[in-house]
Amino acid sequence: MAKQRRAPAGATRRGRSSLATIRSASLTRLRFGFVVIAMVVSVFAVRLFQLQGLDAQTYAAQARAVGAVQEVLPATRGSIVDRNGTPLAESLDGSMIVADPTKTDDDAAAIASVLADRLGLDYIKTVKNLQWPDTRFRYIARRVPTTQATQVVQDLTDAGHKGLDIRRDPVRSYPAGDVAANVVGYVNAMGEAAGGAEETFDTLLSGKDGSATYDIGDGHRIPLGDNSVTEPVNGHDLTLTVDRDLQWYTQRVLRQTVEDAGAESGTAVVLDSRTGELLALADDPTYDPNATVQRDVSKLASRAFTAPYEPGSVEKVLTVASLLDAGLVDPLTKFTVPETLASSDRTIHDYFDHGTLRLTMTGVIAKSSNIGTVMAAREMASQRFYRYLRAFGLGSPTGIPGYGESAGMLSRPSAWIDIERDNIAFGQGLAVTAVQMAAAVNTIANGGVYVQPSLVKGSATTYDGIETGSDLATERRVVSTEAADATRDMMEVVTDPEEGTAPLAAINGYRVAGKTGTAQMVNPECQCYDGTYFTVSFAGFAPADDPRFTVYVVVHKPTNRAGGGMTGGPAFRKIMSYLLQRYAVPPSGSDRPDLPVKWTPVHGKVD
Amino acid sequence: MRLPRFAEHAVERARLTVVPRRRTAAPRVPFFILVAVVLLGGVVGLLLFNTSMQQASFRATALEAEAARLHAVEQSLLMELDQLRDPQKVATRARALGMVPMVSPAFLRLPDGEILGDPVPAKVEDAQRLEPLPARKPPSLHPTPVRVVLSATPDTGRDGVPSDTTGPRTGTTDDGR
Repeated sequence: MAKQRRAPAGATRRGRSSLATIRSASLTRLRFGFVVIAMVVSVFAVRLFQLQGLDAQTYAAQARAVGAVQEVLPATRGSIVDRNGTPLAESLDGSMIVADPTKTDDDAAAIASVLADRLGLDYIKTVKNLQWPDTRFRYIARRVPTTQATQVVQDLTDAGHKGLDIRRDPVRSYPAGDVAANVVGYVNAMGEAAGGAEETFDTLLSGKDGSATYDIGDGHRIPLGDNSVTEPVNGHDLTLTVDRDLQWYTQRVLRQTVEDAGAESGTAVVLDSRTGELLALADDPTYDPNATVQRDVSKLASRAFTAPYEPGSVEKVLTVASLLDAGLVDPLTKFTVPETLASSDRTIHDYFDHGTLRLTMTGVIAKSSNIGTVMAAREMASQRFYRYLRAFGLGSPTGIPGYGESAGMLSRPSAWIDIERDNIAFGQGLAVTAVQMAAAVNTIANGGVYVQPSLVKGSATTYDGIETGSDLATERRVVSTEAADATRDMMEVVTDPEEGTAPLAAINGYRVAGKTGTAQMVNPECQCYDGTYFTVSFAGFAPADDPRFTVYVVVHKPTNRAGGGMTGGPAFRKIMSYLLQRYAVPPSGSDRPDLPVKWTPVHGKVD
Repeated sequence: MRLPRFAEHAVERARLTVVPRRRTAAPRVPFFILVAVVLLGGVVGLLLFNTSMQQASFRATALEAEAARLHAVEQSLLMELDQLRDPQKVATRARALGMVPMVSPAFLRLPDGEILGDPVPAKVEDAQRLEPLPARKPPSLHPTPVRVVLSATPDTGRDGVPSDTTGPRTGTTDDGR
């Protein structure tokens, strides 16, 4: 307005010194200019109204989309580590190399040779992937260390090859492959925990994702722009009681044992005798959790927990310990063992044919005589025998959560008929899991005190709120120290080269106590024990004078007709030797007590 | 009233007059300089502040990129470490060097040099198999070979020349089965 007023004023001033014609022309020009300005301004006004009034939301959204970046800050999943802190499962930030085959098709050979050379990829497969028809996306390599991937792709791009790209590939890595796979479990391709400790302790391991929002301009954060960050909460680590190197060795020994016996499957359990910590828990066959495709469902579970079976003669150890504790026998109790023994409407045999034998209780264990064991067990009332077996942990789960643990099977004594009780006395007619049985035998090693086995070092809480771990392992006395010691002495004869059933389990310089098991399996076709299938096993501990470790090896359905001593014995020796050396347990300084296995009747006196 | 002449001068002197206000022209220059300095300082300061903010932003981006790179390096090294200490790999390399697991643990006690246990030299048989056996071929892929036994005495044709060296074979050779 000021301008308008000044303009005519100026004209007037000028008019005073100029002609009237000039004044009128200048007025016309002025009005014309005014109209033009008014038009332009009104155009602006309309546009302003349109932008601010009508399309405001759209433009605001567009601006936000261009400038603001929203980012998920992924929480790092906790590692699962072994007792020494070596990772069994960890989350790594790798990269994947992806290709657009429409662009890589022409120089596939050149690209593939570089990739094969630098990343060790399969040349033929890579060429195929780079030339894949009718797609614009193809995985070339996954789980590649980011630095390596960046470098290779950069070099290839510099060399003029197009169509390769890198993407983030957060991976759950199981650095030792199949080592402890059945215990650790795995995380599937969708990032969901699927089995084992990964699933059981998912809430503990997973943590909470965070997020960040900020404005970005030309690749840089705009200072003082919108900026909000919620920090991610990383998951906690989980420490297991297993020892990775030992676990690896146990698995290899077990695999060789299962293969050489032509068997269907096998399980090996290694326990710390004093604490009940599972130092190794091997299942064979097993799987590699790193592989994402070929998972065979039957191999995923830990059969050491889920698959009950009849333990066979290893169970005699528990029978004898119970009898010793009750004071019904001692290692020198004399038995006259007949060829066969009648029980209900059946006949009990030994695995070897023999005439009438004169064996001591020690001899019954050393030779693994069913008949001798039954004769001894008949001294004890069924109810009492049952209570002992329950105290050893048979018939109830050990309480390690998350593996679908079976309770095994032990029927109530009120229903027992003679043959059932007799069968149970030498390990048939009842079912146990490998962990259950190992813990039961470990009771003898630990001086008669049952220690609950544990798989988590310290303590941890499962996803459903159960607190578990070695800190919470319970103990209970099952048999007296004397009974346990006497049983131990008798078990040492088992590894004796002349008298025992498992000389191959003996270790030079150490006193080794053990017991073989060769159990018949029920043939599902005839629902009977027809001697087609067996479960062979060996359980033992060393050094027998001060037990440190209990090792239990079970092999199902071997086809080589060898018993527990021949199959399980060598596996036990290998694993135990490794343990003794690894944990620096010095050799025993003493010899085993000299217990006679046979007795001769004093002349003129009939027993 | 008439005052004596001598007093006239004094009276004249005593008459009050309005003192004209003294217009002291305040010096304008300092004020302008002050305003200019404030303005200039503000603008320059703002400019510098903005520049330093931008600079910090660039630096932050660069540092973030560096952090990301170092993180990637760390992860790569972790992967490499994992591969190197994979027990299977270690065992395979040890095996290649001719090493086998020991079967008879023995110890040397350092204070008195006593040997505990029974040291036994390692043998090749002690080696632990590290790889699974190759999958066995199912029997259906492994048929019993069809054996064809040629008769010991060559059957000669009428012309006395062994028939299997000259003419086409006749189907008489499977008598050995």
